[in-house]
Amino acid sequence: MTEFTKPTPAMASARTANEPLPEAGRSAGTPHLGMTSRQAWVTMALAVLILIPSMYGFVGKFVEFVHIYRGASGGEFAIAPILNYLLASAGFFCMLLWAAWNGMFRDVERPKVEFLENERLLDRDVRT
Amino acid sequence: MTSGSQATPAATVPDHPAHEDLVDEKIILCYYVAALTFLTVSMLAGLLVALQLVHWNVLRGIELLSPGRWRMIHTNAIAYGFLANAFLGTLHWVVPRLTFHKVLSKPLSWFIFVTWQVIVGLTALGIILGPTFQDQPWLLELAKQWRLPMNLGAQGLEWGETPFWIDPVALLGLLLVAVNFMVPIGKSKGPMYVTLWYFMAAFVWTFLTYAMGNLLPEYVVAGTSAGAIGGLFIHDLVGLFVTPLGWGLMYYFVPILLKRPIWSHGLSLVGFWGLAFFYPLQGIHHFLYTPIPMFLQYGAVISTIAVELVVATVVINFFGTLGKKGSEFFTNLPIRYFYTGMVFYFITCFQCALQVTLTFQKLIHFTDWVVGHAHLVMFGVFSLWLFGIMTYLFPRLLGRPWYSRTLCEYHYWLSSVSLFVMFLDLTLAGVFQGWYWASLQPWDASTDGSQPFWITRVFAGLGMFAGLLCFLANLWMTWRGAEAAERSSGRVAAATA
Ligand code: HEM
Repeated sequence: MTEFTKPTPAMASARTANEPLPEAGRSAGTPHLGMTSRQAWVTMALAVLILIPSMYGFVGKFVEFVHIYRGASGGEFAIAPILNYLLASAGFFCMLLWAAWNGMFRDVERPKVEFLENERLLDRDVRT
Repeated sequence: MTSGSQATPAATVPDHPAHEDLVDEKIILCYYVAALTFLTVSMLAGLLVALQLVHWNVLRGIELLSPGRWRMIHTNAIAYGFLANAFLGTLHWVVPRLTFHKVLSKPLSWFIFVTWQVIVGLTALGIILGPTFQDQPWLLELAKQWRLPMNLGAQGLEWGETPFWIDPVALLGLLLVAVNFMVPIGKSKGPMYVTLWYFMAAFVWTFLTYAMGNLLPEYVVAGTSAGAIGGLFIHDLVGLFVTPLGWGLMYYFVPILLKRPIWSHGLSLVGFWGLAFFYPLQGIHHFLYTPIPMFLQYGAVISTIAVELVVATVVINFFGTLGKKGSEFFTNLPIRYFYTGMVFYFITCFQCALQVTLTFQKLIHFTDWVVGHAHLVMFGVFSLWLFGIMTYLFPRLLGRPWYSRTLCEYHYWLSSVSLFVMFLDLTLAGVFQGWYWASLQPWDASTDGSQPFWITRVFAGLGMFAGLLCFLANLWMTWRGAEAAERSSGRVAAATA
């Protein structure tokens, strides 16, 4: 099997002269690979809006767990769905940590531009 | 068959793979043909069930083709025959192009393709023949001897009707799918595009959800507890199998077709992680007012509301991406399919916000409201997205434009308008039924009162089916290489114009 490497930005920029740039970062005030301040605000606001109820849900689940051990009526069978959820969430939490550790969120807007450049490369070869 | 990309020279940029080395176009075509075949079967089954409900069962008296069995064929053929096949085919296009790596193994891909069709075929056989065969004394004896569950046919689990003896094979198939696609994803370096996050999660979730929903209630837990697991299963099938694949594909195709990147990649990641942490909590909202303890029911209500916010991130992001390119909605057919699906998605989620309240549940539980909701999300959202993707990819896979742009338009309009009529019709039917029941009138009063709605549903279903026939006819003509119908009159047959 032939192994390929992902094109570097330098390779990606080897566009032919008549190919238009993707609109990535071309609108006024958009840094090429970063976010505009509006994007950053919306992202932050939604992150908070989501994180607060999520923490509430999370803590709620733990409270339920405690209830079970205190013998809340009919509590035992709730163990299956709650354990199920906690296990899945623990997995995702580890994945989130792993992703952050490996720099997946460092230049967070870069992948959206890179992917379109890669598509352009693949299609340019197809069409020529 | 001529392939659009096979006629092209190899890649010209050093170290950069060529499309034809990455993508196996033949398998995509095979998956799409299988998907459309199962969609046709499923829609016919839906029509048969709809006819039964207006007392016009054309197969009356044929035990093997009784409506109860057709209903299961309808839902299973959609989920495992149409959606799964169409998704798998599209993944064979998207994953190698996004990662620049081929899938793990081409023979494995073909093995999975064949196995999956066998699984879906056997499920259909099990559903149709099982209930008749399992009455046989020799089979009862065998089941007793080997301590097997008695239900040779459909398993008594909503959406998990796949007979129990197929479950291990289906699980193996899902595991192989995960391995085949995770290897190229694992090989790609650097920060990942959001589509790959969604795909990775979907591969793991689908396997776990299928195992949980099919094995636990059958072998481990029973009674209300099994009911709670069943609730998680039906909900997670939509939310952890169909939704991540669907959104992942939208994050891939929309920027390509609009020729601009997604508005905010950061926001898309917030949406992804929100889905990851919230979705698994919600299943029990299907069982409000049941003997499941109230604190679990309230937990599900809260997490459902949290997911509404996650949905908002996704919708804002896609409409932000469309931005000033709104005219594409009218000229670019795949984009029209995608954004129509997104509007329907928003309506579905808005409905969820209402449905999840106990007050609302009192009225609509067990009514046709839920059936309307199911059609809106499965057909109005995910099927429309897949039609959009097929409308874009078929010309590329076959190497020629669509035979008829007009037929493409008919497909879009018949599908989306008929679906919307069906949705409104069933939603209203649900409200009527709820009030009939609340007024404690005899059951017959509610079914008689539902007749106008059920008759309307037959016509809406016929409209959706007519749309599919337009698509199939167009595909047939395009495949055969017929001269594009509108070319002579100067119209462009390319649906992605
Ligand atoms: C020809 C068009 C169709 C017709 C006439 C039709 C009709 C029906 C009928 C009569 C039912 C059973 C409702 C009941 O039990 O009361 C049903 C269920 C269902 N159908 Fe369809 N259907 C059609 C197309 C589709 C498509 C294309 C999809 C998905 C892409 C779909 C998804 C579903 C689902 C998910 C259910 C289960 C609903 C539930 O259990 O709440 N249907 N359909």
